[in-house]
Amino acid sequence: MSRLDRQSFLGPNSDAILNAATIGLVGLGGGGSHVGQQTAHMGIGGFVNVDPDVIEDTNTNRLIGGTLADVAVSLPKVTIAERLIRGLQPNARIFSIRADWRDVVDDLKLCDVIVGAVDGFKEREQLERFARRHLIPYLDIGMDVHDLGKKGCLVSGQVIMSMPGAPCMRCCGFITDERLEQEAKLYGAAGSRPQVVWSNGVLASTAVGLLTQILTSWYQDPPSFVFLDYDGNKGTLTRNPRMELLQNCACPHHPPDETGDPLFDIRARSFRPRAAAAAPAVERPVPWWRRAWNRLTGQNV
Amino acid sequence: MNIRFKIASALLTNIRIDLRRPHDFAHERVGFIAAGLAAAHDELLILAREYRPVQDDEYLRDPSVGAMMSAEAIRRARQWAIDDRVAVFHVHTHGGRGVPGFSGVDIRENAKFVPNFVSVAPQCVHGAIVLSDSAAFGQVWLDRKSSQPFIATFSEIGMPIRTWRAA
Repeated sequence: MSRLDRQSFLGPNSDAILNAATIGLVGLGGGGSHVGQQTAHMGIGGFVNVDPDVIEDTNTNRLIGGTLADVAVSLPKVTIAERLIRGLQPNARIFSIRADWRDVVDDLKLCDVIVGAVDGFKEREQLERFARRHLIPYLDIGMDVHDLGKKGCLVSGQVIMSMPGAPCMRCCGFITDERLEQEAKLYGAAGSRPQVVWSNGVLASTAVGLLTQILTSWYQDPPSFVFLDYDGNKGTLTRNPRMELLQNCACPHHPPDETGDPLFDIRARSFRPRAAAAAPAVERPVPWWRRAWNRLTGQNV
Repeated sequence: MNIRFKIASALLTNIRIDLRRPHDFAHERVGFIAAGLAAAHDELLILAREYRPVQDDEYLRDPSVGAMMSAEAIRRARQWAIDDRVAVFHVHTHGGRGVPGFSGVDIRENAKFVPNFVSVAPQCVHGAIVLSDSAAFGQVWLDRKSSQPFIATFSEIGMPIRTWRAA
């Protein structure tokens, strides 16, 4: 009996399929940290975790696996994710990359699926375009909180599954030129956006369900395009009407002739193996000066 | 170098359907797949874009083989490689299940015409693929001098993704 026995309905070879899969997690904050945790529980074997940031105090309301002790030593979010994953998958193949994803595209090109939990429409669009160019299914999650004035706030979000050839985030009206323009105007002035752990959890769990559909055949004929709207006030996750309307439509925004690296030339390429994935990290003790500082400033480590 | 061939499930299904169409005198059908290329570390990714069948009047009568293409069919495919700067892979099917292999005739004929693609579009790799009803197998010409490696891994991108090792 294996630890994955209770999910054997995913298929006779599901343990091996999940273990062989490599997923790219771009953004290891509120949403991505949930995905990292759940996919480790599920037995995914390969991870390319990318996030340039370290944990901050204000992340601890939602960053799964993050602790106050991590804040005290400014631990990178990818390190927290790796620690969480290794607790369940000690031998996982993990690349923890503290960088902008655009700087580590070679690692992401080799992923079977990419999950984007990033801020902003521009970054989402670029990530989806990258995934399409390399025939990689892309899952997008995101949430927002809207001020309704006297009525309070609306917690909303979306889960989108973007498969090569199927409708994309532009097809479904989620990415538009107007939104990109608006975002560009607000660049640098947006401040920190409200985020909460429970809605991130709903969206991430839904994305992990879709990831499972992409990797295993636990039921027949799942949709190849998914666009779900989350309403945190009503507590609902519903199919956006465009999901049905676009179900069998081809995507005009990412034509097949865009696949591959632009201007690729085999004669100019060198092929070298990447250094092996990191071995399980040994937890380092917090240095004495950091512990002393934390005591002086009253931080609980 | 590891070579991985990725193709959308819908495209692969259409190719299999097309290759099953009967021909007036040829015993099997053949076609070409155009692909984009990408590299990552020691992996070469071949990313299928489009399929074009060899036209009915581009088959030659040759009872010694399943299908023999005319020079015009090869010329058109080479022009495709030049115009669109794409990798071009000859494709046919052996049917059945499991990972197929090239026949002696396949090996002989591939060695004759695939190097011509390398000559006209040397920035790309080119090659040949044989399908079964459940898998595929293929070989790649990197240039005119090097040995021709086999495609190590195929991924059919659909719901679910299917991946198999072929070499």
